[in-house]
Amino acid sequence: MEQISTYLAPRQLDEALRAMADGDATVLCGGTDLAPQTESGARQYQATLLNIRRIEGLGGIEATSGEVRIGATTTVSEIRRSAALADVAPVLVEAAERFASDQIRNAASLGGNLCNASPAGDMAPPLLVLDASVELACWRDGAVQTRRVPLERFFVGPGKTARRPEELLTAVVFDRPAAGFVGRFRKSGPRPALEISTVSTALGARIADGRLHDVRVAMGSVAPTPLRARHVEAALEGNPLDAAAIAAAVAATTEDVKPIDDVRASAWYRSHLARVFVEEVLNDVRRD
Amino acid sequence: MSVETEIRFRLNGREVALKVPATMKTLAMLRDQLGLTGTKYACGEGECGACTIEVDGRTVNSCLMYAVDCDGREVVTIEGLRTPQGLHPVQQAFVDHGAVQCGFCMPGMIMQARNLLEENPNLTREEAQRGLEGNLCRCTGYAKVLDAVEAVAAKESSHE
Amino acid sequence: MSKTASNSPIGKKTLIGQRVRKPDAPDKATGKTRYINDMVLPQMLIGKVLFAGRPHARIVRIDTAAAEKLPGVHAVMTGKDAAGLKFGFVRDNVALKDKVRCEHDEVAAVAAESEEIALRALELIAVEYEDLPGVFTPEAGAAEGAPLIHDEFAGNRSLHFEFKHGDLEAAEATSDLVVDNVFRPHHVTHCCMGTSCAIADFDHNGKLTIWTQTQYPYNYKMDLAPALGIGPGDIRVIQPPVGGAFGSKLDVYPYEPIAALLAKRTGRPVKVIYSREEEFRASPTRQAAIIHMRTGCTRDGTLTFRTADVLLDNGAYTSWGPTIPVIMMRTTSGHYRVPVVDFKAQAIYTNNPYAGSFRGYGNVQTTWATAQQMDMLADMVDLDPLEFHLKNAQRSGEITPQKSFLRECALVECLEAAANASDYSRKRKAYAAQRDEPGRYKKGIGLASSIHNAGGAKIHKSDGIGTILKVDDYARVTVITGASEIGQGIDAVITLIVAEELGVPLEHVTIVNNDSDIAPWDVGVHASRTTFIAGNGTRRAARKAKAQILDAAAKFLEEPAEALDLRDGSVVRERDGAPLIKLDRLLRQMHFQTEPEVVMVTDYYEPKSEPEGARHVSDHSAAYSHAVHVAEITVDTLTGEIRVDKVTVAQDVGRVINRMGLEGQVEGGIAIGLGYALSENMQLDKGRLRNACFRDYKLITAPEMPPIEMHFIESNCAEGPYGAKGVSELPTIVIAPAIANALYNATGVRIFDPPMTPEKVARAIHDRRTQATPGKTAVLEGMTV
Repeated sequence: MEQISTYLAPRQLDEALRAMADGDATVLCGGTDLAPQTESGARQYQATLLNIRRIEGLGGIEATSGEVRIGATTTVSEIRRSAALADVAPVLVEAAERFASDQIRNAASLGGNLCNASPAGDMAPPLLVLDASVELACWRDGAVQTRRVPLERFFVGPGKTARRPEELLTAVVFDRPAAGFVGRFRKSGPRPALEISTVSTALGARIADGRLHDVRVAMGSVAPTPLRARHVEAALEGNPLDAAAIAAAVAATTEDVKPIDDVRASAWYRSHLARVFVEEVLNDVRRD
Repeated sequence: MSVETEIRFRLNGREVALKVPATMKTLAMLRDQLGLTGTKYACGEGECGACTIEVDGRTVNSCLMYAVDCDGREVVTIEGLRTPQGLHPVQQAFVDHGAVQCGFCMPGMIMQARNLLEENPNLTREEAQRGLEGNLCRCTGYAKVLDAVEAVAAKESSHE
Repeated sequence: MSKTASNSPIGKKTLIGQRVRKPDAPDKATGKTRYINDMVLPQMLIGKVLFAGRPHARIVRIDTAAAEKLPGVHAVMTGKDAAGLKFGFVRDNVALKDKVRCEHDEVAAVAAESEEIALRALELIAVEYEDLPGVFTPEAGAAEGAPLIHDEFAGNRSLHFEFKHGDLEAAEATSDLVVDNVFRPHHVTHCCMGTSCAIADFDHNGKLTIWTQTQYPYNYKMDLAPALGIGPGDIRVIQPPVGGAFGSKLDVYPYEPIAALLAKRTGRPVKVIYSREEEFRASPTRQAAIIHMRTGCTRDGTLTFRTADVLLDNGAYTSWGPTIPVIMMRTTSGHYRVPVVDFKAQAIYTNNPYAGSFRGYGNVQTTWATAQQMDMLADMVDLDPLEFHLKNAQRSGEITPQKSFLRECALVECLEAAANASDYSRKRKAYAAQRDEPGRYKKGIGLASSIHNAGGAKIHKSDGIGTILKVDDYARVTVITGASEIGQGIDAVITLIVAEELGVPLEHVTIVNNDSDIAPWDVGVHASRTTFIAGNGTRRAARKAKAQILDAAAKFLEEPAEALDLRDGSVVRERDGAPLIKLDRLLRQMHFQTEPEVVMVTDYYEPKSEPEGARHVSDHSAAYSHAVHVAEITVDTLTGEIRVDKVTVAQDVGRVINRMGLEGQVEGGIAIGLGYALSENMQLDKGRLRNACFRDYKLITAPEMPPIEMHFIESNCAEGPYGAKGVSELPTIVIAPAIANALYNATGVRIFDPPMTPEKVARAIHDRRTQATPGKTAVLEGMTV
């Protein structure tokens, strides 16, 4: 049985980071992952339960400058309702639309979702195609230290990230997409949400002179971590978005995805859906 | 075992203060500490919505929310909806439209439906279907729940 | 003569067919209702069960010492405490096990002062097992040399059923076309929103009170008694409000005698309650089956024979599941006019979880097969399926090979209503023509029907119900009924009938039920019987009361009783509605006269049906009815997702009593059937359930429900209350094959093993497209996902 000896709900970041400095704090925000995982015994509490939800400056969405910054305690609901994000990164809003249920969206934090590092995590693929990074903070040498890790290097395995035990994920940042950027997100159904995705796919690219540039394709549930589909990207980079490019991209999908059989789907179906979704999002962009 | 913390919050319009263990969830606090059994346990994992309450104007699954996090906040449960004068309009609509069968999911369903309507008084049936996607019901097939929600929304628009 | 408050005439009004609110709805909508799950009794302890977690094993040793020493623990019990206390249909079960036969076998149980302490105590119980090889399919269980699950059941053979009618060889010879398929209806579970819960308490005389979710409170005593070694008469059964049942509570399940054993041991009330995970693992399932069915017809589309050879996965113990052949054979012999029938079913013990009753009870599984074969044969004789169905549909007065007497049969009306309303024939043709055209999304329309009991089912010695009714000095009526309210709305029906007969407001009727010490006998909520049986019982009791009242009124008013009626709280002159005396005033006059007369009546209603009998040839229900569903779908041929766009229902309800409640039963039944058809599946891997949570066991959610158009056909059943028939199972029974037939119409693909998940559909379509011969039907069998 876990022994939590200390509960903290600080309002200042440095106080939270000092509490985490010894690496024996369990971070709590919405509780949507922590609660079921500790109830089932899959995860154990540390000695300190640290509620970060009240920390000033840790929430909020800033999209005014060249960089978009989403605070770690921003809820998926806030992302979904954000007019600013609907304007600069609708692909992220689309993923929020398909996330769990209203009740979960209202509690689930972006930081918690990314730190949970589920291979099926729906917020990861759109952030990957936006070239997002996570900001990690810790208390060292008497001060708050921060560093940034590109999201594609943040996930290291199922449920495992590059975050050190004394670090707190404080924000997700990405450059405001350039002119001509198109993004798409597609997740398996048949439910519109409330579904651990069988496959999810995100596309981000800049269209110029009828060609695709800076192509990013990311997928969930087809590998141990959310995945950048490099072969698919290579098949599209610099090419016009025509039938041949789409066919090549679809074919390249099988080289990128490494799905497994599990209780939700077979490897065959995941591969199949991944190809269907790649074709679908590309055709969708092509139509527009 | 975990450390106990004193929390103070507003519950159904009244100030409440009590001590809760750090690991306790709001659902258990409501049902076991405060005697408010209207909010139900049906899965404990945030998958069924039977435990839906409203916190600071937004609905959440109380089975996932840590009780300590209620501190300083505004909490509304199903028991907080009716007045001495009668049922809340959403509750009355559920009764009038036959939306209640075994009723076990209804507190959570009504909390969610009420919140959707407060957010958007002109909620369409389709929007209500999406909005209720996190509330499972095994008895009704949702049809009369949606009828009730539509009826409340129609009443709203007829007042405009 | 007495004065009346008003002189204006009161016209005859009826509540039959109106929309009546459920009396308990306001308390449920405000969170006031205390469900059994919410109950706390003084001094109550919490009971938790240690489940085996493995499918087949010898229990070598159990060490409970550490658990017993834990502060707050009041009792730890194991198999030795239940030794010899066998219960169950064939007495193959005990509350705490001597041997592990399935994953959820109850190996030990703890009563403690809190759930937290009880769970910690379970962790301290040390069990040493010797794992045994398991059997996980009925074929494996029946094989030569298979591991024996119960010593008393050689060859793992459980129940066996048979029915034959007519000369099969001759019928085969006259058949021009035969379809021959194997269907594998799968394991699903009830997913009641209120998890399993029982509270037990003994009094100083050794009498047990058990608060339970049972839906058959009286025979339940007989079934529970042997598990405890007490007499059925020493058991009081109280049924608090429950969060659903759907058939899952038609038998005794071990957690109930466990609660009682712990209560006996500790001398305190004990509440056993399941978590959702425990609910998934340890609740009874729907009976899974392997149905090898053959149906034949002549070239002109006349059915010639139907055979079914059924193998049932009995699971570890025998509950209601393996008895479903009793109903399966009725569908096999009675779904359309079938002159020759050959049915056999064998249940085989396995180390899988075992099945109970579930809404539809064997007819879900059988209609999945018969309705698809009807569709296939129609195609083969090149007839519109509607024509094929009409050609073989029974009419009123026909009798099936098992002697089901279809007194009022509205199958033809249902077929025509559903097909016309949905424009079935034209759409079916149009969609079939589109099938192989290019295009990702394909529309399909499918028709299916079935027949089911609608007037009870005399599988017990009585199919009746007792009713006690009293009217007090204020004209308030109390109905003490044997009928159990489990959420299905019998409270609204009873209230409606009393108000109708006695002319009192709905709000002046109180129902007392759900306590076996108070209410008279009823066999229980099953076989779609409650509106029919309890409706008749209530009506009879109310009419007895009315007769007594009008006889008394006749004396006081010096008018013949036949000239009087009860309307709107008054005794009126039947002819013109003139109010003569207020009912409550009359009742007080009756009560306080020299020879007091109060209104207290009793009734026992036994439907005029025949016992099932060992040969299964009997008119075992007082009525039968039919439903037809037309399902319209859109199939995404790439992802395999099926979206149900609309369901058109035509159901013979006899007569609509409470329209709102009736609609709710159809809508809710369809939702359960849709889950069965599309998404629900217990994924068992060598006896272990892999998806014991709502995240991975997919119920139908609000956005997935289609609009449902309902046509209620009123065949006016002479024996039914106001002509009504039972209704609640057919909606679950018919929808799944309607969707399967629609899938075929849209894509040329048939799936015989439900559920029709997106993956299964995608694969079947993919296989059909990549085959050498386009246009051939691809059939997907044997998939477990």
